Amino acid sequence: MSTQVRPRAATARPRTARAAVATAYEYRRNFARRARLSDLLVTALWASGAAAAALFLASGGVDQFSSVAETVTSIGIVAGLIGTDFILVMLVLAARIPLIDRTIGHDRAIAVHRSLGKPALYLLLAHGALLLTGYGLSSGINPIAEIGPMLSLPDMPLAFIALGLLIAVVVTSVVAVRRRFSYEGWHLVHLLSYVSVAFALPHQLSVGGVLADGTLQRVYWIALYVVALGSIVTFRFVEPLVSSLRHRMRVAAVTTIAPGVTTIHLAGNDLRGLEASGGQFFIWRFWAPRTWWHSHPISLSAMPTNSSARITIRDLGTGSAQLSAVPVGTRVSIEGPYGLFSSTARTSPKLTIIAAGIGVTPVRALLEHASFAPGEATILLRASTPDEAYHWDEIKAIAAAKGATCYTMIGHRPRGIESWMSHADAARGVSLSTAFPDITDSDVYLCGPTAWLDLVEADVRATGIRPHQIHAERFDW
Amino acid sequence: MRTRAILGSILASASVLIVGYQAGTAVTTANGSSLTLPVGEVTNGSTSGSTSSGATTPETSTAPTTSTNTGTETSGTVASGPADGTYTGSSINTRFGAVQVQLTIAGGSISEVTALHLTDEDGRSIQISNRAAPVLRSEIIASQSTAVSNVSGATYTTQAYLASVQSALDQAGAS
Repeated sequence: MSTQVRPRAATARPRTARAAVATAYEYRRNFARRARLSDLLVTALWASGAAAAALFLASGGVDQFSSVAETVTSIGIVAGLIGTDFILVMLVLAARIPLIDRTIGHDRAIAVHRSLGKPALYLLLAHGALLLTGYGLSSGINPIAEIGPMLSLPDMPLAFIALGLLIAVVVTSVVAVRRRFSYEGWHLVHLLSYVSVAFALPHQLSVGGVLADGTLQRVYWIALYVVALGSIVTFRFVEPLVSSLRHRMRVAAVTTIAPGVTTIHLAGNDLRGLEASGGQFFIWRFWAPRTWWHSHPISLSAMPTNSSARITIRDLGTGSAQLSAVPVGTRVSIEGPYGLFSSTARTSPKLTIIAAGIGVTPVRALLEHASFAPGEATILLRASTPDEAYHWDEIKAIAAAKGATCYTMIGHRPRGIESWMSHADAARGVSLSTAFPDITDSDVYLCGPTAWLDLVEADVRATGIRPHQIHAERFDW
Repeated sequence: MRTRAILGSILASASVLIVGYQAGTAVTTANGSSLTLPVGEVTNGSTSGSTSSGATTPETSTAPTTSTNTGTETSGTVASGPADGTYTGSSINTRFGAVQVQLTIAGGSISEVTALHLTDEDGRSIQISNRAAPVLRSEIIASQSTAVSNVSGATYTTQAYLASVQSALDQAGAS
């Protein structure tokens, strides 16, 4: 197999001249459209939960609540329907569907996915317990004794296994427990959720009367499954595979730019076709013997040319340490681009960027890609020591070329006081309003380590800026 | 705009629930009168029960003639030649009510299955069993055995129905 690196000259196009700077009106309209879509998604989420309950009502009305046993059973069925609906919504949120990513961003989609995990599990546990109780009540035995007859029904053993697997998946994802697992270990358990979803389906269709053959309810329910599993298959498996095969990326060069910080240059085909926006990330997998089993979400640290791309990483985990030793020529597969830390999220013509440490990497690409009039962008680069000034020279050069102001701040945070600034600048009386007089009517992009970023974000919020103007990316690797 | 999302969610959810509720009441009122009829009274005797078969056996005369010739050869259950006659299966209890069937054997094969009693715990059960019984009846006559697939959404009815048929077959001497 030969690499097909096109011998096209990698001339950097003058990006400032390329796109006319959008007007404030266009940014507002763009944001309004995104907000509308986001509200629509929220509405769809809740309506799908209500629809699950409506399926039950449609199949028999309220006369299924006439005795205690029936009421318990009926509530149990509704719990199962809503719980399963949540699980399917979680699959959709984790599927990295481009529309959802562009609207609310990958981070928020995953945050909502996480927040649904426990409610879904509780609903499904209640489903099991209530049905055992309800069936037990009507046949005069206790819920535990009802397990036997229940298991003798076709498809019910699978349903019990499905619930067991779901418990395992949710428990391993609880923050405190997840820390004990490696990412790979956790991910392996998490993949069982697909098995769980598949195993739960047969009993829904055969045992319950709600989704009986030939009913509209059954058609709707199967359609939900098709949408959820279909989007996973399409956007998590097929699309990344096609994209990886099409762009054929390989490691072209690995350079250490500072202690523990490495840039990886990649060569590939038609990389503009990726339509990556500055600030977005990809999930990378390097097919070398020691790295293939581990995938990494890493931002582009420069806008790709048609034949080359670049990422910059810092050795933190064992996995990322091995990446810095990845051999030249290694094949690379990709999933992405993802994330809203890009121009897609812009809501106003002015731009404020604050980045620290390795968090400068997406900011470097964002600044390169962003459109703004000269004088309307201000950047603050933050580092504890001069060694951490990664790519600062490049950022300063882009800022100078595009007419942006670039400040730097080096030094440790002051002891004893909660501040994101350096000791010297905090003492000097520097504040957000002195550095960024226009901050309240600009888009604020923040990127850096979690602990530092929390402080900056709190400070930014205190200026009275509207939440949708803040775009934060916690960046710990 | 957060308020818009909340209001939208409430409105959409409420309307979806109302539609579901309306659909549910429409189902019960539309079927209620016709469906409660066949399971009105339990008949345990082997001679009666023909009144209750109205809803479940729409084509009593055509079904047996098509299956008599091949039926005896293919089916394992009735191959040894059960005696002709009418047999009442045991009443099988489920959490949705009892199920009992009557089997008519003519010319050594199953010619008719009549439901004497079907699950009737509530309106929903009646609806489900009235849907399942004709399917089970025709499948049993066609296959001349109890080896028929589960009617989805009516698992309890299916299992009890088949158990009752099997007990009637046992009485008929099919082994």
